[in-house]
Amino acid sequence: MAEPLTLSQSDKRPMYLQIMEQVKQRIAVGDWKEGQPVPSIRQLAVDTAVSVITVKRAYLELEREGIIVTQPGRGSHVSTTPGLGARLREQELQQHLENAMRVAAQLGIRPKEMERRLREAGDRVAERETV
Amino acid sequence: MNDLAIELTGICKKYRYFSLDKISLKLPQGEIMGLIGANGAGKSTTIRILMGLIHQDDGEARVLGYPMPAEQVAAKRDIGFASEDMRLYDSMTLGWHTSFIQSIYPNWDAAYAQVLLKRFGLRADQKIKGLSHGQRVKSTLLLVLARKPKLLVLDEPTTGLDPVARHEILRELANVMADEGRSILFSSHNTQDVEQISDRITFIDRGRIIDSMDKELYLDRWRRLRLEVPSGVHLPALPGVIDVRQQGRLAVATANAFVPGLANAYETSGARVQCIENMTLEEIFVANVEHSREEVEA
Amino acid sequence: MTDSVIPQLIRKDLRLHRLQMVVSFGAGVLALAVMQRGGEVSLVLGSTWYFVAIIVLACLLPISMVQNERKKQTLAFVMSLPVSYIQYTTAKMVSTVLMFLAPWLMLLICALTLITTRNTLPHGAIPMILIMALLPVVGFSLILAAALVSESEGWAIAATVICNSTYGIAWYLITKTPSLTANWTGHVAIWDQAVLRLLSAEVGLVALMIGLTFLLQSRKRDFI
Repeated sequence: MAEPLTLSQSDKRPMYLQIMEQVKQRIAVGDWKEGQPVPSIRQLAVDTAVSVITVKRAYLELEREGIIVTQPGRGSHVSTTPGLGARLREQELQQHLENAMRVAAQLGIRPKEMERRLREAGDRVAERETV
Repeated sequence: MNDLAIELTGICKKYRYFSLDKISLKLPQGEIMGLIGANGAGKSTTIRILMGLIHQDDGEARVLGYPMPAEQVAAKRDIGFASEDMRLYDSMTLGWHTSFIQSIYPNWDAAYAQVLLKRFGLRADQKIKGLSHGQRVKSTLLLVLARKPKLLVLDEPTTGLDPVARHEILRELANVMADEGRSILFSSHNTQDVEQISDRITFIDRGRIIDSMDKELYLDRWRRLRLEVPSGVHLPALPGVIDVRQQGRLAVATANAFVPGLANAYETSGARVQCIENMTLEEIFVANVEHSREEVEA
Repeated sequence: MTDSVIPQLIRKDLRLHRLQMVVSFGAGVLALAVMQRGGEVSLVLGSTWYFVAIIVLACLLPISMVQNERKKQTLAFVMSLPVSYIQYTTAKMVSTVLMFLAPWLMLLICALTLITTRNTLPHGAIPMILIMALLPVVGFSLILAAALVSESEGWAIAATVICNSTYGIAWYLITKTPSLTANWTGHVAIWDQAVLRLLSAEVGLVALMIGLTFLLQSRKRDFI
């Protein structure tokens, strides 16, 4: 498999988090389906030129979050929990919303004001989509 | 035969102006170790000792199970060594060099050598003296990689290479990883590459090993905390924090043994933790060296 | 040492320096050609060039073979191969000696052939020629030893200077020794005690140099 993930050395976050995020994204958009086998730890390490230990850590964390399942001797595959993709997309949204609220707090914008801003943003997005 | 590719115990070596002081490190088979240190820290000397090219004054060196330098001939059959100051024969072609190496090592993979020739953009019929620095380095590495040795010992394999060449080399080192029985030890100033591809990291400074451990665990121990310190609040000296720089109301604390409780401890003292940042290996390198030098001087 | 890398190293050295071998041999052949043109001038010129060719070879060869490996930083490349330092020294000695002795021997044979077939010189001169021809071999072994053991070009050059200055003195001393010069104008080559003693002294010196080299090399702890 040619480079399945795109990792950046200049990204401030640790490599294992980048790997986790990319795996979740693949599942969220439906590229990797539920139950589909994922590359072995060593294979992914070789393909992305990342140390085995980092990939191992990413896989362990993903397993802890119930996103992938590893069977000894049989490799790993995407979890077959129904609605995994939707759940991951939901998680992403939560993350974005929390980040937005954090920035708003730093700027001193209050939640009531944020509600208005959110509606405006929604309108702008809808406009762009119709044009 | 144990499954440590490299085992150094208490290695000492004394020169007039420099000495290695009780160097100990272990590299399990199948792993990659990155060796980091400032110039003159002792990386090359340590590597030469484990290659049997220099005889240690004290301590034991075992490479692939063989004691060094006593059994260096047997060991070197399975080790691929390339160092930054190594040169090939100027007047001969790369093709001559590959034939030469092939005549010595039975497990030369000619097909893989061809692949590497293409991948590195080299030509077998070119004389070494006509090659650029980057091409020379790649030629030396090709000669070492195509043998598929059990252990690769590389002293600054990517120094002086352009980003494309560096990327090519990194890819090939990653390919070595596909075989669980093969190991790599490499020293580099390129902390980004070391951070990305190493399973273990060893820090050496002024002839001493400062740290040698699992890379992920190591990176996890280091954090930078950005603090807001209201007037009248005194930042406590906390265990695991090796450096605090304060300017006015803002302070930056560098921790080399971070636990979540650290942030709480600061908050309890009245400071506000703005954020907790991971540190890159380069930042850790600088902080670590500065800290260890302060300790020695103190 | 069944699996040793020494043969490949020797072959490598011979391949790398084959141009030098050819040139030195060619110079010697040229000198001999001049010598047998006949006439005293040709004889003197030719024999001088002959010796110069051999002496130059004796000086340059060890330096280029040993020092260049170090200077051009290819030593690290060679030592990364499955070879110990003693094996490396052995290979280096053998290849350098081969590269010197081959032209030396061939030129000696040519010279002796010229003497015996063309009668340019009386046969009585043959022992002298042999004694003289062995001098550069002694010098060569000293320079090679210096180059290998000292790892410094300076000492190798010093050895070269010592040898080159000594040839003249040796030649003088030999010509002034009646027991040696007594028979060299004769028609028959005479191998008497004096001659044999000197020859074995020369060979003994060479063996001593080689032995010392191995002894000192085996004591080294840092190879690079």
